[in-house]
Amino acid sequence: MTVSPLLSVTHLRKSFGGIHALDGVSFELLAGEVHALVGENGAGKSTLIKVLSGVHMFEAGEITLDGAPFRPASPHAAKLAGIQVVHQEFNLLNDLSVAENISIEAMPKTRLGLLDRAEMNRRARAALDAIGLSDVDVTTPVRSLGIAHRQLIEIARALQSESRILILDEPTATLTERETERLFEIVAGIKAKGVTVVFVSHHLEEVFGICDRVTVFRNGETIATREIADVTPADVVRFMVGRTLEEAQHAGSEAHLGAGVALSVEALRTTANPAGAPVSFDLRRGEILGIAGLVGAGRTEVLRAIFGADPKLAGEVRLDGSPVQITGPRDAIAAGIGFVTEDRKEEGLILDMPISANASLVDLGAVSRRGLLNFGREREMAAQGGARLKLKYGRLSDHAASLSGGNQQKVVLAKWLAATPKVLLLDEPTRGVDVGAKAEIYGILRDLAAQGVSMLVVSSEMPELITLCDRIMVMAGQEIQGTLARPDYSQERILHLAYGQEQTEERIPA
Amino acid sequence: MSAVDNIPHIPEKSPMSFRSVINNAGIGIALLLMILFFSVASEHFLSANNITNILTQITINLILAVGMTFVILIGGIDLSVGSVMAFAAVVAGKAITLPGLGATELIILAVLAGVIAGMVCGILNGVVSAYWSLPSFIITLGMLNIARGAALQISEAQTIYSFPFAFEEFGSMLIYGVPVVFLVALALVVIAWFVLNRTVFGRLIYGIGNNEEAVRLAGHPVFWYKVAAFSICGLTAGIAAIIYMARLNISSPIAGIGFELNAIAAVIIGGTSLSGGRGSVIGTLLGAFIIGVLANGLILIGLSDFVRQMITGLVIVIAVILDHYRAKYSAS
Repeated sequence: MTVSPLLSVTHLRKSFGGIHALDGVSFELLAGEVHALVGENGAGKSTLIKVLSGVHMFEAGEITLDGAPFRPASPHAAKLAGIQVVHQEFNLLNDLSVAENISIEAMPKTRLGLLDRAEMNRRARAALDAIGLSDVDVTTPVRSLGIAHRQLIEIARALQSESRILILDEPTATLTERETERLFEIVAGIKAKGVTVVFVSHHLEEVFGICDRVTVFRNGETIATREIADVTPADVVRFMVGRTLEEAQHAGSEAHLGAGVALSVEALRTTANPAGAPVSFDLRRGEILGIAGLVGAGRTEVLRAIFGADPKLAGEVRLDGSPVQITGPRDAIAAGIGFVTEDRKEEGLILDMPISANASLVDLGAVSRRGLLNFGREREMAAQGGARLKLKYGRLSDHAASLSGGNQQKVVLAKWLAATPKVLLLDEPTRGVDVGAKAEIYGILRDLAAQGVSMLVVSSEMPELITLCDRIMVMAGQEIQGTLARPDYSQERILHLAYGQEQTEERIPA
Repeated sequence: MSAVDNIPHIPEKSPMSFRSVINNAGIGIALLLMILFFSVASEHFLSANNITNILTQITINLILAVGMTFVILIGGIDLSVGSVMAFAAVVAGKAITLPGLGATELIILAVLAGVIAGMVCGILNGVVSAYWSLPSFIITLGMLNIARGAALQISEAQTIYSFPFAFEEFGSMLIYGVPVVFLVALALVVIAWFVLNRTVFGRLIYGIGNNEEAVRLAGHPVFWYKVAAFSICGLTAGIAAIIYMARLNISSPIAGIGFELNAIAAVIIGGTSLSGGRGSVIGTLLGAFIIGVLANGLILIGLSDFVRQMITGLVIVIAVILDHYRAKYSAS
């Protein structure tokens, strides 16, 4: 079967400041198919979508649309060419009506140049009917609709103008099963009308449910494109992971694991998980327990609930065997828990303040007497903390903003270590940190483990978890899917669990 | 351990104050240029009498602006200080004219009543806006009306007068030509500087304005710090009320209309960022001086009060534009 492709992408390259987001991406889109793009977070799917929709320009390679070179310079240009994207996060104006939202790009006008409301409502009605959404009144404000309907309205908006390619970026992330089914019916209807659909999803069962072909991304490259009928989900996971599993070696010994359980979490329910299975696990003294999973799997929520950063619905936290009541960060810190947050700029550092002031933020009591700051003591503490973590800085009075990512992260670590925690929660501890600093941070964390500090590490980088952790717990859909012990580590096993492909018996050493 | 090697050799008394000196230099130079200009343009400008005048004129605004600095540093705003000042003045006025008490008792009672009345308003502002995470702009706009209404209701819209002699005397007392009431304002500046730069409390006020979530996750009770900032602002409104009464020998329920805007202007001209976290009370002092010197000088060189108002407005806009560039510069 030789059908000439509608859209063809060859050897596409795009980098952001030295990081190759797209490193040779090639794939073809056939007219009228539903084509899935899958791959880990950061594999390049989103960048490709942004290039196709005119948000980013590409640096090398070629895109052809209908056989002619295609290089969209702006989202508007992409739309004119018939490429529409429904983004993961909504772009709706919540206080405007459904009709106003659908017509937002080109409001119909009367001869006097006033808004033609009747025409606008008529167009919106037609757009909704076209995707079988006849139960929605076009004059209701978007705010009063549920998430699923908002998603469908975005799709209706995307489809009302002549669109040939509709890109759905993780459309089911926030939908329930019933809503997902409805979306799939609509996708089937769109396909029947000859529109080509690109479907980005983390859920392989959905990919296998509605797609004709699948292209797998890994590290900015396209690894394979296959007919869905020719592959199994396991094959796709194998493509995502790669044949060569480079398993970085850890010191390996479990000698540093102390006796007894440092932190025990029992039947924890976060606000994001009101109905699923609650989360329970034990963290031994001196143990580094990793939590793997996809974005949105509920990992950060678990850390925040333990720390009291967000209220929890239910569950008990025990430290050294005795239950602790944690209603806020203050209680957690008093109990000996530290929390290195995911986003150091938003939650970790006070960027406009000196390094020394950031380093003392958690344990201000140690650098003050009766509420008066002792600057000498503060500098001394910061210098000691900095030396311990090999922090590179000019002066302690420099703003935290002046440091590199890795050194900023060390300041965050120093801040928490100043309070000598027994349990440290770390959320993406090396995000945005260069390779050298990464290795240093691993060294620091291992030293801490050797000193008996227990750690819970959330990371989206599997090599990081495999290198660092004594055990890896995998989450998906707010629930624990399984826990792997070191001998069982493989990216493939982790991904299987993260995509909800299998349940593994929990194995806890000793 | 080589920890000592890492400590910079430059003597760093306080990193914050060093930075604030740099930040304030520009405002200080602007003020000096203004003073230079007016002293050339008008022979009366630098006369002892006129200096006393300027100091008297800026006192109330400076006191209000000191409290306002705390609120703006945490990223809030207090539109109610003018009304709260009137409310506190009426409460203190009622207290100071109570029959059958000696002058000393009356003065102590009035000061306490005024200061407590101001603080109560501030605490309400803080609790309501912090508890429900509501914009303080709206909450204090509500308080602006509530306090004004309360002042009019309690006083039955009448001006209160005939205060003890010692109280009136305090309002006009000079030490080497410097009004004692200005010294009170200056003392508040010094105390505020100390609190903001040398205490854990002040550190966290700056911290909350910069990154509230980081402060919260470090285990600090952000709610109470916010309430404290607003109650300090109410407290200074109460103190301003007492000073106002002592100077004018009356207490009027329609006092202080629009004063909140002058106080905010002083803080902003002084280089404190409206989004919080950056600024200093020394800047506020200079900002209050700039407004006062402009007001006095422009009238002295023969411009109308209307032109003065236009120029003051212009200065506020210029100050914010300059601050925009300063923030950009310091970020890079």
